[in-house]
Amino acid sequence: MMLRRSALAGLMAAAFSAAPALAQQKVEVQFWHALSGVLGERVDEIVKRFNVSQDKYTVVATYKGNYDEVINATIAAYRAKKAPQIVQIYERGFMSMLLSGAIVPVQDLLTEKKKDVDFGDFIKPVASYYQYKGKLMSMPFNSSTPILFYNRAQFEKAGFKEPADTWGELEKQLYTIKQKGAAECGSSLAGDYFWSLMENYSTVNDQPWGTKSNGYDGLDTQFVYNKTRLVGQVTRLQKWVNDGVIQIAGQGLSPEQLFTSGKCATFFASTAAHGGIEKAKDLPWSATYLPHEADLTAHNSSIGGATLWVMKGHRAEEYDGVAAFLAFIASPDLQLWWHKVTGYVPITNKAYQLAKAEGYYKQSPTREIAILQLNRGTPTANSQGFHFGNYTQTTFALREEMESVFANKKTPQQGLDDAVRRGNEILRQFEKLNAGKY
Amino acid sequence: MQGSTSVSALGARHASGASSSAAAEREPGARKGARAAGGTAGLKRAHYREARLPLLLLLPQLLVLLLFFFIPAIRALAQAFVLTDPFGNSVQFVWFDNFRALLTSPEYQSSVWVTIWFTLAQNAITLAIAMVLAFATDRVVRARGLYRSVILLPYAIAPVIAGILWAFLFNPSVGPIAFLLKGMGIAWDPIRSGFDAFLLVTFAASWKHICYDYIFLVAALLAVPPSLVEAAAVDGAGPLLRFFRIGLPMISPTIFFLLAMNFVYGFFETFAIIDAVTKGGPGGATMILVYKVYLDGFVHIDLGSSAAQSVLMMIFALVLTMVQFRYVERNVNYDV
Amino acid sequence: MVERTRGLDIACHVLLILGGLLVCLPIWFAFVVGSHTTADVLTLPPPWLPGDRFFENAATAWQKGNLGRLFVNSFVVAVGIAGGKIAVSLLSAFAIAYFRFRWRMVAFWLIFVSLMLPVEVRILPTYEAVANVALPLQWLAGLAGLSVALDWNMMNSYGGLILPLIASATATFLFRQFFLTVPEELCEAARIDGAGALRFFRSILLPLSVPNMVALAIILFLYGWNQYLWPLLFTTDKSMATAVIGLKSLIPQSDSEPAWNIAMNAALLVMLPPVAVVMVLQRWLVKGLVDAGK
Repeated sequence: MMLRRSALAGLMAAAFSAAPALAQQKVEVQFWHALSGVLGERVDEIVKRFNVSQDKYTVVATYKGNYDEVINATIAAYRAKKAPQIVQIYERGFMSMLLSGAIVPVQDLLTEKKKDVDFGDFIKPVASYYQYKGKLMSMPFNSSTPILFYNRAQFEKAGFKEPADTWGELEKQLYTIKQKGAAECGSSLAGDYFWSLMENYSTVNDQPWGTKSNGYDGLDTQFVYNKTRLVGQVTRLQKWVNDGVIQIAGQGLSPEQLFTSGKCATFFASTAAHGGIEKAKDLPWSATYLPHEADLTAHNSSIGGATLWVMKGHRAEEYDGVAAFLAFIASPDLQLWWHKVTGYVPITNKAYQLAKAEGYYKQSPTREIAILQLNRGTPTANSQGFHFGNYTQTTFALREEMESVFANKKTPQQGLDDAVRRGNEILRQFEKLNAGKY
Repeated sequence: MQGSTSVSALGARHASGASSSAAAEREPGARKGARAAGGTAGLKRAHYREARLPLLLLLPQLLVLLLFFFIPAIRALAQAFVLTDPFGNSVQFVWFDNFRALLTSPEYQSSVWVTIWFTLAQNAITLAIAMVLAFATDRVVRARGLYRSVILLPYAIAPVIAGILWAFLFNPSVGPIAFLLKGMGIAWDPIRSGFDAFLLVTFAASWKHICYDYIFLVAALLAVPPSLVEAAAVDGAGPLLRFFRIGLPMISPTIFFLLAMNFVYGFFETFAIIDAVTKGGPGGATMILVYKVYLDGFVHIDLGSSAAQSVLMMIFALVLTMVQFRYVERNVNYDV
Repeated sequence: MVERTRGLDIACHVLLILGGLLVCLPIWFAFVVGSHTTADVLTLPPPWLPGDRFFENAATAWQKGNLGRLFVNSFVVAVGIAGGKIAVSLLSAFAIAYFRFRWRMVAFWLIFVSLMLPVEVRILPTYEAVANVALPLQWLAGLAGLSVALDWNMMNSYGGLILPLIASATATFLFRQFFLTVPEELCEAARIDGAGALRFFRSILLPLSVPNMVALAIILFLYGWNQYLWPLLFTTDKSMATAVIGLKSLIPQSDSEPAWNIAMNAALLVMLPPVAVVMVLQRWLVKGLVDAGK
C-alpha cells in the first residue's frame, strides 16, 4: 500500500511539473549532445567516468537529436532561460555561436577557474578553427579530417601499389580500375563531399575560399571559390560522376557501404569512418593522405566535427563543474581513449605523443594519417579554417548548386558562380545583423 | 493526422441521407447568417440560448489554443518583419524586406511550382489507389478484415521510419525496387534526376496517406444503402457499372472532403517524408514550401525569412480552404 | 452479394494482395535487416531473407534504447493526447452546434485556423510557453505595473508533453458534423422532459457519440505515439523521452559504427503497439466511421 501510494504520488508529481533535481548535494551540469548510436554510448561512458572521478558535480548528458536539433533546442531553451550549461555545436555554427552574446568563452572560463589546461598544446588546425583573437572560444571535442580510404586488393589487381598522391595521377588510376574491372566504380561520394572534396581541396592546395583570410579578418568577407582551382576540381568531379567513376550513394544508403562492400575502390571520408570500415567483413582496406595538385605544395587539411560551448546565465558553482568537466575532457588520458574508441583525432599533442609511445600506431597505422595530415606544413590564411557567418545556410546553397552540376543542368563554373552569389547574399545579412561585433 | 479526421463527418452527413445539417446550411438565410458572428450556420434547429454555458464549454479548448497556439504563433509571425539572430540578442526591424527577398528569389518561385505539382499529383495518386482498393474491399467477402488491417498498416508507422525505408528500397545502388526498375530497362536515378526524385517523394507521400483515404472510402461505401444497389442489380447493371452509377455519386461528399484533406496533408504534413527521402534535392526539385519553411527556420535558423514564408503559406492555405468550403457546399449532392 | 462474378472477385483479391504487398515490403525489409549482424547488413546486395539474430538484436535494442521506460511514457502521452483531444473537442463541438450565442462563429474559426501554421515555425515561442506556462500572466501583471516572478515549468512532465498538443480543430469539426446529423427530435424531446443542456449532453448525446469517439481515439492514439519533434525538444530528462526518440537515438550517424540491424529492430519494436492497435481495432475504426451517420 505504501509503495502504491508513493508510486502514485510520484506519478502525480511527474504529471504536472518538472521533475525535481535528483541529487541536492551535488551540483548538476547539463550537457546536450548530438551523438547517437555507438558514439552516444561513448559519450555516456565519458560522463560516467567523470562522475565517479569526483564527488562534487554530476554531469547529465542528454542526446538532443542531430546537430540541427541540438542547436534549435539550445536556442529555444536559452530564450526561455532554461539553457543547459554545455552544448555540442558543429563547426559550421562557430560564427553564429561566437557572436550570439549567449556564450562564455571556454579559455576565459578555464583560466578564471584555474584549470590546468595547456592551450598551446592543441593541434594547430584544431585550435585555429575555434580561436578568436588568440583565445579558444569552445572546447574541441569530436574533431576529424578527411583522408583517403582505399581497397588494397582492387588497386593491386589494376596494377597499382597504392593510390597516387596527386589528383591527376589518381584520376588515371581510378579510370584504369574501372576499365580493368577491378572494381565497379572508382570512388564513393561521401555525403559531406563539400567538406572532404571541396573545402579540404582548397585548404590542402592553399586556395582561398573567401576574402579576408576566409573570414578571419572581418565580416565583410566574400566567397571567391568560383575563381580558384576549385573550378577544375568540380569539373573533374562532374566528369567522374558522368563516367560512373564516382558513385553517389544518395539517401537510404550510406556512401560508406559502397566502399565497405567492395563495390567502389576508394572513399574520401572523415577519419572517423574507421569505426565502420574496421567492422566490414573481408575488406582488404588501407588509407592514405588526401591527394594534392601536382604543381602545388600540399598544406594541412582542415577539420570538421563539433565543439563544446558553454552557455551564459548559470551559477558560479555550476561553472566550477563545467570547468572541471571540460578540463577532464582535454586531459591527455581521456583524449587518448576517445581517439582509440571513436576514430576522431586526438586534440592535443600530448595525447598524440601518448598514443605514439604506446605503440598504438604500430598496430593501427592508418589512425595516424589524420593527425599527420593536419600537422603538414604551416597553416596559411587559406588553411587555418573557415570563419563565415550563417555557414550552414551558405553551405546548403553550395550543395544545391552542386546537385545541379552533377545532374548536368549547370556547368561547374555556372554552379559555383550561383553558389557564390547566393552565399554572398547570406553573408551580407549576417554582416548587417552583427555589424561592429567582430 | 491533424486536419484529416473531419472527413468522416462527410461519411456521416452523407450516410444520414438528407441530413439536417446539409439542409440547414443550404438555406439562403443560413448562408447569410454565417457571415455574422453567432450566425446560424451549422446550428441545430433545436438549440439552447444560454450565454455563459457555451463559453464555459469552449473554455478548455480556447485556453489551450491561446497558450500554446495563438500567443506563440503571433510571436513567431511577428518575426517576418525583423532580421534577428537565433538567440534573439540583436533584432532589427526591416519592414517587408523578408517578403521582398522571398518574392524575388528564383528558389522560392520554383518551390511554389514544385508544391503545386506535388500536391496535385499526390492527391490524384492517393485517391485513385485508395478508391480501387476500397472498391475491391467492398466486393470481397473472404478475409475482408485482414485486408483492411494490412492496408491500414502504414498509418501506424512513424513518418521518420517510413521515409528511411522508402529511401532504401528505391536507392539506385542497392534498392531492391530500383533493381527491378533497372531490370525493366528504366533508367532510374532519383539522386541526379530531379524528375525521378519528384516521382519518388510523391509516391512515398501517397503511400503513407492511401490508408487514410482508403478507410474513409471503405466506411462510406459500407453506408451505401443495399436496397439501391440491389435495385440496380435487378435492372441488370454489373458491379462496375453499379459502382459508377450509384456508389460513386453516393460517396461524392466523402471524396470532396478527402480532396480537401489530402491537400492539407500534402501541404503541411509531408516534411518528414521529404526530409528522409530527398531533403528537397536534387537541386531543389522536391523542395516543397513546407520543407523550405522547415529548412530555413529550423536548420538554417533564418527566423525572419521562415516566418515570412509561413505568413504567405497561411494566406494561401486560408484562401484555398475558403474556396474549397464554398465549392463543396455548392457542388456536392448531399441528398442522394 | 447480389450475384456471383467470379472474374471480378478474383481481380479484387489480386488487387488487394498487391496492395498488401506494397504496404508490407518496407516492413519486411526492416524485419530482415533487424535479424542480421551489423557486418552482414553492410554487404551488397543486402540480404533478402531473415537471419537468426532477431531476438538477440531485439534484446540489445530494448536495453540500449531504454525502451521499457520509454514505452510507458509513449503510452501515457498517446493516451493523454487522444483522451484530451476528444474531451476538449467534444465540449467545443457541443457548444458550437447546440447553443446560439455571440461569438459562436468566431470561436469556430479560431479553432479552425489553428490548422494553418506548421509546428516547425512556432517552436521557439511554444517552447517558452511550455517552459513557463505562467508567462502570459506575468506580462499582464507587468502591464498592471506589478512585478511578479511566476514560474510554472512544465518541461519534463507528462503535462508538458500532452497539453500543447490537445487542441484539435479536426476533432472539433468531426464532432460538430456528427452532432448536426443527430435527429432534432432527440433534443426537442429532452427539452419537453425538462432536461437541461448538460443533462441532454450526458445522457443522450454522449452515448450516441461512442463509436465516433472510439474511431477517433484510435487515430489520435497513433498520432500521439508517432510524435517526434515536440517531445524531443521539450524533454531534457532522458527518462521522460518517448519511444520514437529512443529509436532515433539508435539510428547510426555518419561517423559511427553503422549498427542498422539494431536500429531497424528497434523500429519494428516501436511500430508494434500502434500496429497492434490498428490490427485489433480496425473493425471499430470502420464501424465508428460508418455509424457516425446512423
